[in-house]
Amino acid sequence: MARRVIGQAERRFAALVLLPAAGLLLVFRIVPLIWGFVLSFTNSDGLGQADWVGLANYRGVVTDQAFRDSLVNTVLVLATLPIWILLPMLLALLIHQGVPGGRFFRAVYFLPAVLSSVIVGSIFNVVLRFDGSLNAALKAIGLSPVDWLGNGGTALASLVAVHLWSTFGMSVLIFLAGLSTINQEMLEAAKLDGAKFWARLRFIVIPTLRPIIEFVAVVTTIGLLTGMFGLIYVLTAGGPGTSTTLPEFLIWLEQGKLNRPGYAAAISAVLFALMAGVAWAQVRIMSRNAEL
Amino acid sequence: MIDLRNVSKRFGGMTVIDRVNLSVEEGEFIVFVGPSGCGKSTLLRMIAGLEDISSGDLWIGGERMTDAEPYDRGVAMVFQSYALYPHMTVAENMGFALRIQGVGAAERRRMVEAAATKLHLDHLLDRKPAALSGGQRQRVAIGRAIVRDPKVFLFDEPLSNLDAELRVQMRIEIARLHQSLSNTMVYVTHDQTEAMTLADRIVVLRAGRIEQVGRPTDLYDDPDNIFVAGFIGSPRMNFLPGVATGPASIRVAGVDVQVPGLGTRLAREQAVQVGLRPEHLTAPEGVELPLAIEVVEQLGAMAYVHGSLAPEAPVVAEWRAGRPSVGERVPLRFHPRDLRLFDPEGRRIR
Repeated sequence: MARRVIGQAERRFAALVLLPAAGLLLVFRIVPLIWGFVLSFTNSDGLGQADWVGLANYRGVVTDQAFRDSLVNTVLVLATLPIWILLPMLLALLIHQGVPGGRFFRAVYFLPAVLSSVIVGSIFNVVLRFDGSLNAALKAIGLSPVDWLGNGGTALASLVAVHLWSTFGMSVLIFLAGLSTINQEMLEAAKLDGAKFWARLRFIVIPTLRPIIEFVAVVTTIGLLTGMFGLIYVLTAGGPGTSTTLPEFLIWLEQGKLNRPGYAAAISAVLFALMAGVAWAQVRIMSRNAEL
Repeated sequence: MIDLRNVSKRFGGMTVIDRVNLSVEEGEFIVFVGPSGCGKSTLLRMIAGLEDISSGDLWIGGERMTDAEPYDRGVAMVFQSYALYPHMTVAENMGFALRIQGVGAAERRRMVEAAATKLHLDHLLDRKPAALSGGQRQRVAIGRAIVRDPKVFLFDEPLSNLDAELRVQMRIEIARLHQSLSNTMVYVTHDQTEAMTLADRIVVLRAGRIEQVGRPTDLYDDPDNIFVAGFIGSPRMNFLPGVATGPASIRVAGVDVQVPGLGTRLAREQAVQVGLRPEHLTAPEGVELPLAIEVVEQLGAMAYVHGSLAPEAPVVAEWRAGRPSVGERVPLRFHPRDLRLFDPEGRRIR
């Protein structure tokens, strides 16, 4: 009896502690999500009366060239995913191997991750613009300058490179944490079994790091889909043309510039569906690893 | 087969292995024992090539291996944590070294199956380590070593993670394995039962130095110093303070004892430590010492009785007659030939 009374008190206390967070989640996440979903079926301009237009916004999204371009850009950005995984993994491996100054490199790699994307964007605006320091350096060694941010062929790659520079330090840390959990005796056993560095990497380290690799892949994918707005805004504003427009930026354009919240909400719903797909994949991967 | 010549290991300014010299014969089963931190695992890892040798030389099978890579030394090692590859099946674990060597899949499978049969693992070949019990995992770790047919097997406390019953079972399996394979084996343990039952020779280490090397019974019966005398044997040897009363006589616990077969002449009033094993204190006749029993550890077939013969001289005796009880006064009897004498520095007086 006494235990049940204590249990009830604990439950009440737990509910009390959880309630504010649940309330905030409801007010600032769930309600706007539902409201946005409802909005996507209207022709709201954010000012006057919004009329119900059914699936018209979604039909518009499907035929919208800007949206299609943003999806192609998304695919191009996601195609760089192997770099986002291999580069930090390689650097983490080198640091873990005990290269001289490993701690220093770890700090240096992580430093950009604490800068806001606007600051990073501003720094690289100075570096990458046509009269910027990169082109000055190219000129100094006799190479022709490139309009990194103004050329449709290089703008997206430049953005991705800047985003990679500013965020890969976090992945290095995640890989380092993963490497520190690998059983050293297992690596020693592999050494005795005749596996040299690359064989140990291929047969032991990478398979053991698989959950970490998958985790980094999922987190990076989400970051690419939702975390590049600041850089795009500061560096290219989605251009030239739509060459650096990603769905997230397009939503802002439709909502903030073109004053079409209903249409922006429809794009948001599509992006949400994409993100839900990634989240679903993440949950599947995590639960599969948990069964190992 | 293995020659350690003046081998030392230093971490920074600290010497953890100090000028060790040891020769291991081909086919011999050598066990390193010693208290925690004595350097026994470090010495084993130096043989394996997992720790650098700071100074001295290591020879394996007539070849100098001091600086050789682990995989070039012809040794296989079984780790305390099993160190199996969790993402591989039992067959893949056992065949990994062969795969690295470039042995074909069919030949590899045949060799793995042959080793698995020896260790009763044939029905588990397609399982992953996570689906095995502790004993099965340890057998896979041993199987992984067998498949390579190494010149030397190294075992680093391989049974420490197993429960008592399984440990006994695996100990017997390792002994059988040594008989059937006849490979050289070096085995590290802190469990002296494992050391006594498995070893051809035991190496007792303390603070990075070898205290004594010898057959298990030699170490038990004829220890070189008080450390080995106390370390080998469970319960440990009793040590009582004594004083020489003549060239071959001592006084211990108020009783005069003539020590037979003593080569050294004792100086009168020379302080000595008198070592007596618990099973030697219940002889049918001999020197008698009265003991008031303070604690009884009853084991059924026998009991260990604890008491004190003098201040700061606790004693444990193995008791097989009757059922002793706490508070009872009993006579302990020992034959003087069973006592071992040590000088105040702990060196044996023979």
